[in-house]
Amino acid sequence: MRSMRVPRSPKVLVGLCILGIFILLTLIGPWIAPYDPNDTSFVPNLRPSWQHLFGTTTLGQDVISQLLVGCRVTMVVGFIAGTLATIISLVVGLAAGYIGGRTDEGLSLLSNVFLAIPGLPLLIVINSYLPAGEQANPLVVGLVIALTGWAWGARVLRAQTMSLRDRDFVEAARIIGESRWRIMLGEIGPNLLPIIAASFLFTILYSVGVYTTLAFLGLTNVATWNWGTMLYWAQTNNAALANEWWWLAPPGIAIALVGTSLALINFGIDEFINPRLRAAGLTARQRRRVGMARRPRLGFTPVQRSEVRKKGASS
Amino acid sequence: MNEDSLVPVLDVTNFSVDYGYGDDAVRAVSDVSFSLGRSQVLGVAGESGSGKSTLVYGLTRLLRAPGVITSGEVTLHLAGERNGEAFNVLTASEDELRQVRWSQVSIVMQSALNALNPLRRVGKEFDEVLRRHDRTSSKTARQERAIELLALVGLAADRLQRFPHELSGGQRQRVMIAMALALRPELVIMDEPTTALDVVTQREIVSELYELRQKLGFAMIFITHDLSLLVELADEIMVMYAGEIVERAPAVELHGAPRHPYTLGLMNSFPPLQGDRVRMTGIPGSPPNLKSPPGGCAFHPRCPSAHDRCRTQAPPLVAIEDGHRSVACWLHDSSSTEVVPVSLSRRAASRIGQGA
Amino acid sequence: MRTALRRLGIYVFTAWATITANFVLPRLMPGNPIEQLIGKLQGRVTPEMIAAIKAQFGQGLNEPMWVQYGHYWGQLFHGDMGVSITLSAPVSQVLSSQMWWTIGLIGTAAVVSFIIGTALGVLFGWTRGSRADSIIPVATFLQSVPYYFLGTILIMLFAGTLHLFPIMGAYDSSLNPGWSWAYIASVLRYAELPLTSIVLSSLAGWMLGMRNMMVTTVSEDFVLMAVAKGLPRRSVMWHAARNAVLPSVANLALTIGLLVSGSLLVEQIFNYPGVGNLLVSAVGNEDYPLLQGIFLMITFTVLGANLLADILYYVLDPRTRTASVN
Repeated sequence: MRSMRVPRSPKVLVGLCILGIFILLTLIGPWIAPYDPNDTSFVPNLRPSWQHLFGTTTLGQDVISQLLVGCRVTMVVGFIAGTLATIISLVVGLAAGYIGGRTDEGLSLLSNVFLAIPGLPLLIVINSYLPAGEQANPLVVGLVIALTGWAWGARVLRAQTMSLRDRDFVEAARIIGESRWRIMLGEIGPNLLPIIAASFLFTILYSVGVYTTLAFLGLTNVATWNWGTMLYWAQTNNAALANEWWWLAPPGIAIALVGTSLALINFGIDEFINPRLRAAGLTARQRRRVGMARRPRLGFTPVQRSEVRKKGASS
Repeated sequence: MNEDSLVPVLDVTNFSVDYGYGDDAVRAVSDVSFSLGRSQVLGVAGESGSGKSTLVYGLTRLLRAPGVITSGEVTLHLAGERNGEAFNVLTASEDELRQVRWSQVSIVMQSALNALNPLRRVGKEFDEVLRRHDRTSSKTARQERAIELLALVGLAADRLQRFPHELSGGQRQRVMIAMALALRPELVIMDEPTTALDVVTQREIVSELYELRQKLGFAMIFITHDLSLLVELADEIMVMYAGEIVERAPAVELHGAPRHPYTLGLMNSFPPLQGDRVRMTGIPGSPPNLKSPPGGCAFHPRCPSAHDRCRTQAPPLVAIEDGHRSVACWLHDSSSTEVVPVSLSRRAASRIGQGA
Repeated sequence: MRTALRRLGIYVFTAWATITANFVLPRLMPGNPIEQLIGKLQGRVTPEMIAAIKAQFGQGLNEPMWVQYGHYWGQLFHGDMGVSITLSAPVSQVLSSQMWWTIGLIGTAAVVSFIIGTALGVLFGWTRGSRADSIIPVATFLQSVPYYFLGTILIMLFAGTLHLFPIMGAYDSSLNPGWSWAYIASVLRYAELPLTSIVLSSLAGWMLGMRNMMVTTVSEDFVLMAVAKGLPRRSVMWHAARNAVLPSVANLALTIGLLVSGSLLVEQIFNYPGVGNLLVSAVGNEDYPLLQGIFLMITFTVLGANLLADILYYVLDPRTRTASVN
């Protein structure tokens, strides 16, 4: 009945394109970086030029090299944290929603607690207790981020699992005696895919945001290049007051673009999950093509005489 | 039927509705014409997807996007202060429509739970409607009128203080009916008002509606997929299939002697409310996909009496039997050589009066 | 009533969990962070201070865990959260002097952005399919901009280049704090830019969420019913908006946490006094007692805000008030 195809709206396509570019940069960024990001031998505070596409920092480093090298760590931590958080939320959500009873009570309480505690302060506290060496380890930081960011997905997945639990096909699987885990993964799991995808993208978004924030605060190893550390160095060197926009803008915009691309793809998934969000009308351009003067308004069904239209259905 | 029924309330000619625009358009209602007289009840029957709801929402221009009205004329003959005025629904502006809505045409939707604002007390909803009609009225006068309206449908005045979720399904639907009558409209549209209710409540509400119609004299379009409900309430019944009218006849005649195989199938899918137990047969198959309707008669893939002509040519709606009923079926074409099944032939009419 | 008690129970449990986490984390973390801290502090602070830290974090004590835990609770009940290492003052005192700046700034920003964002979301949801839809990509981008980055850009544009706004601190340092007009005006003036950056970055999120809810609600029957009743468009929109705002309020729990987290950094950018600024310096200086106190304070404030949101929801939705609903 439902095809698994995400609506191919321009929003989703743009989102996929931007994300694709950043994934590509994650893979090849460090290789195509023109200089060593740590090299301080350039003239400081250069504006963008052909020599230095995004200019240089007060410390005499090449900005675009830092951006390209930093892309990998930023994205990888986001991806690791997003994956781990999604796994946790899937296990918790499925178990709570399907098993119900005491299990549900306990797991729901746990996710409500993690939802209520503000994530970033908790993260900062946990992170500050980590041994200095571990703070630089993207895997450890990713794990800690995942620990604070799984609860939202778990709540959504639990609700959806509960609504699926009583459907016929699950009932049928129960009657023929399939094991609980088989039903959860084999029968319910596939039907959760759009929601899992949405929660995965959301947690990546959250993770990239949180990781760069930690780095911006100087709480990760400031010698490891990521977009947050770039902003950290820019902030400590008062780049804003010196009006060094070429230093500030690239990492900030890169973070925002990754976030935008994930959010745009999520729009598509949202429209897939909630058909009411799907554009029931037309874009202004499509409307012009079919010769409609204005967008259809609620309670004012348009009248368009078929003399000027062709009946498309009969052919 | 009285002579009032000769005065028209609604005239519809060649009315068509599409879903979607341009090349993606799908025809949902096709070339429907009918006219409804004062205080008459028109039943519209058909399976879900037959276009019956699309038809009435289109007529009132309440149909949501991507619905588009593609042809026809809809004329509403106003009453009350604007008595005698012929109101062209399809050329009216939004403001003009707003003037006519509820005071001339009101609607009762299938699910009262969804049709009532969950955050408002019933009394507030009444008050809003009544004030919209008459801004000079006092709050107490409006409240008295609301109590009067509730009494009309057999509900106590204290229901005004309730929120929709505090009422039972039957009570909610009665509230909706009372509200539909609030401004004494000429025409009330009932979109499957009883489908979501249990059989006993269904029955009660239908007989209440019958009495209210007798008392207040409004005309009604009653949509349902349950033909047996209509027999007691409707003066005339229209059966729709795939967006077209396939049969139209006075209620008793249609029920006693259907002429279209689809009507017969529809009748056999519901047990009659009274009378003998009959074997339920229903209709094999499912309604056609409107994106790619079958050629010829839209019903032919499911029709037990289909023959070659049905597969290639669509039958027009033609008057039969002295013109007081019409059917769109080749079986009843004068040039047809097919054998008409007994259940659809004129002889079956003798069953009328034996208590259907 | 049952649901209300349940919610309250969750908050009480969360409060307990936070307090306990503060006790457990420094004791269980690998690498014994407290021992390392004490090593670093040797000779830099008074021996009394080191003894106090040892006592607070259970270093070198022979008491079993649960005795320490009981002791910890006893201290909390007396409002004793230890002594800040860097500021050499009781944490409770430091917090109570600084927290009002944060609550004032973030609280105002949250209320302002919620109201504006919700109103815009209602409008854009209602006019869906019109040219106004082109706001969506812009809002999506704005929503993804980190709060602190937007703050930095605002400083660069309006304070650094155009010199339109003061940039550092919360009031003109030449004025004496007190209930004078000059002081209050200065406080408002200094709050403008940080407030704007928080509102701008959180606005888009409210707006997009509300737009989606509005679009979903407009497709409900009762909205069409309002049209069928011949109500003016404004009334119809109101019917939908009242209902659409409910999920937004219900989601406050999630968003308040994110908002507070994001806003804390804005304080640092603008060198605004307050808990966020304290937090950053406490982390930088490994001032664990202060860090713990701040964490407790933030969590409790967020829980309080959640409780307010719950009460708001309760007021707005009659269905929560009757037992007959499931």
